[in-house]
Amino acid sequence: MIDGLIILLLTVLITLGAVVTALWRGPFDKLIGLSIITAGIVPFVVMRGYLDVAIVVALIVPLSTIIILLLLGRPVQ
Amino acid sequence: MTPEFIIGCGLIILGAICTAWPSPRDYITRLINLEIASFGLLLVMLAFDETIALLTFVAVSAVSVFILVRVIGKKEAVVQ
Repeated sequence: MIDGLIILLLTVLITLGAVVTALWRGPFDKLIGLSIITAGIVPFVVMRGYLDVAIVVALIVPLSTIIILLLLGRPVQ
Repeated sequence: MTPEFIIGCGLIILGAICTAWPSPRDYITRLINLEIASFGLLLVMLAFDETIALLTFVAVSAVSVFILVRVIGKKEAVVQ
């Protein structure tokens, strides 16, 4: 019962993150929405038992966020 | 039909639509919306229990984001 509840809550979290990332207009807001999607996906990976994949996802997704922030942080001329 | 597969298909469709018609029509918005479809593909691979595919896809996705960010930065510098 608690397993189904967790899956339902994670589904709501991922859907909310995807809709929010699609609708918000600012790039920084979109990056925050991507972090919400990541927070929903990592428990799915862990529930399947792939802890190595969870390690790789948790390492590389913030890295790509930092790379996109390098593009956003430049001064606008 | 596991829940991962259904959520992944939804994320792929939403990400593809948002990448095709982004709200401010610039490259950064398209790149960030492409990440949504990328997460959907990750969930579909998770539903089919493909460990090596997951590892490879996540690693190569970061490299492709890096290359696209470099290209977009150079193109914006040329335009300005």
